[in-house]
Amino acid sequence: MSNGENAVQHHHAHHFASADDEFEASKQGMWIFLVTEVLMFGGLFVAYGILRGLYPEMVHEAHKLLAVKMGAINTVVLITSSLTMALAVSSTQKGQRDRAILYLVATFLFACCFLVVKYFEYSAKFHHGLLPGAHFTNEELKDPKSPLFFSLYFMMTGLHGVHVLIGMGVIGWVLRRTLRGDFGPQFYTPVELVGFYWHFVDLVWIYLFPLLYLVG
Amino acid sequence: MESHSDKNKHHHHHILPTQTALMIGGALLFLTFVTVWIAGVDLGRLNFVVAMAVATTKASLVALFFMNLYYDRKENSVIFATSFVFLAIFFVLTSMDLFFRGKVVVDPNLMAAPQAASKLKKPWISTPELVAKGKEIFAAQCVACHGADGQGNGPAASALNPAPRNFHVDAGWKNGRKATLVFKTLKEGLPPSAMASYASLPTDDRWALSHYVISLGPTAVLADTPEDFKKAGVNPDQEGGGAESVAATIPVDLALDQMEVAPTESERNAHLYDPSQTQWVERGAPQSRAAQIYSESCVQCHNSNAQGGIKILRASVIVPALSGQSEGMRSQESFNRFVIQGLPGNLMPGFGHYSSSELRDLYHYVQGLASNH
Repeated sequence: MSNGENAVQHHHAHHFASADDEFEASKQGMWIFLVTEVLMFGGLFVAYGILRGLYPEMVHEAHKLLAVKMGAINTVVLITSSLTMALAVSSTQKGQRDRAILYLVATFLFACCFLVVKYFEYSAKFHHGLLPGAHFTNEELKDPKSPLFFSLYFMMTGLHGVHVLIGMGVIGWVLRRTLRGDFGPQFYTPVELVGFYWHFVDLVWIYLFPLLYLVG
Repeated sequence: MESHSDKNKHHHHHILPTQTALMIGGALLFLTFVTVWIAGVDLGRLNFVVAMAVATTKASLVALFFMNLYYDRKENSVIFATSFVFLAIFFVLTSMDLFFRGKVVVDPNLMAAPQAASKLKKPWISTPELVAKGKEIFAAQCVACHGADGQGNGPAASALNPAPRNFHVDAGWKNGRKATLVFKTLKEGLPPSAMASYASLPTDDRWALSHYVISLGPTAVLADTPEDFKKAGVNPDQEGGGAESVAATIPVDLALDQMEVAPTESERNAHLYDPSQTQWVERGAPQSRAAQIYSESCVQCHNSNAQGGIKILRASVIVPALSGQSEGMRSQESFNRFVIQGLPGNLMPGFGHYSSSELRDLYHYVQGLASNH
């Protein structure tokens, strides 16, 4: 079951004093990358704050047209996928390769599920003409500034959706390497760092969901 | 030996126990349920606070346990937390600008859509009445730079490069020395020089000014050719030259303001702009003599709120804000001296034709404006 032998053969790069140094440096690099991610999403969150501050009534009326149920389902899906990702990492650390594979597959499927729900949500928005800027054709919302809310809605959830897609890509990649037996208790850096990325995707959604769907 | 220490160190890496992971996952799902449920209860402003508190609790659980920060070296937590510090700075500074600056008030003159066509049938043809009217407007609008006699030697002239036009000289007029072409200059200004656009003046006033300044020249004025009419955007076949088209260049503040409350044509006509008020006042409402003087003589340069700036003058000289600290505002005497004599060598022209009681009122009026910001 365990694939420890393979992992023992992992040689750290020569410019690191030890495999441990290498691991810590990689992890710190990942944190710094996540800082840039916070700042990228940050711009949109600030825009949201400003829009809400300037036009509270408009945001309130527009947010009512988002499907809370679908958003809530997606929150549950994403949180569960975060859990399975965390379990995939700890299984790899313990050398339980079969379990790790199972958890990674589950995480991947939850991500698919998230996007399917998103697809239905987006189609409904398109159908009702709730589109950004000039493409906005909905007649239910009277406030002429309503398209601004949907511009932001699509930018925020769209950028997040792109992150989900990228997450699926890198989860697929560590899954393939796990199947190949690249990871074990001695070397699991890629699994852990992909995990960080995926948890970050979850973090963003944890804020997007209430801000857009619940308390607009 | 190295591999030995490696192994030892690796044992220190924290492995999240399955039970902890499940507990955290459960807590996250529970909090999701809580936040959806509370959002359904109307708590007013508290709804937002509660939702953000719950989201932050969830985010902290994910970061501390799933992302291992709780067990990890503290520097990684510090790195991650830094991003939120900068995000907070970003948000606070942006909101400062939007939520804490005064109400934007826009002079309806700036807002005026294309000006109505001239009331005269052929305003490009000079008449003694037009020249006389132009002389009057010239005294109010132009003397600061062009001088009382139009010799380009006004009090502000020395600060300007290129120097203001001397209307008594024939050659060198940028657009040409013809009524239509001066009309064009008044409408568009002569960027990048300090000659600003006076498109906010009524159409007939600008025709009058055109006729007055060309009348100052030493030689007779040539007739306008069809090309001149075309350049000036004037249609000689229509009465008054047809309606003017004004390029849609509006400041961002104005755009925001128009989104907020775009006054209709009738509202625009029914209201008069009073710079001392941060709101629209009814036409006919009593306007103090001081307010009248201010909008007549001061507002072009010092702005409607006495904050100075370069609303009209695109010169390199910044007109200072009128505050209690400015020299001219120290006392009634120094105020009178500044207003009557102007500041030779500066942009400030002298205004000698106000009575002492008018100056006293104006002094208090400007003090009120200055204390508003």
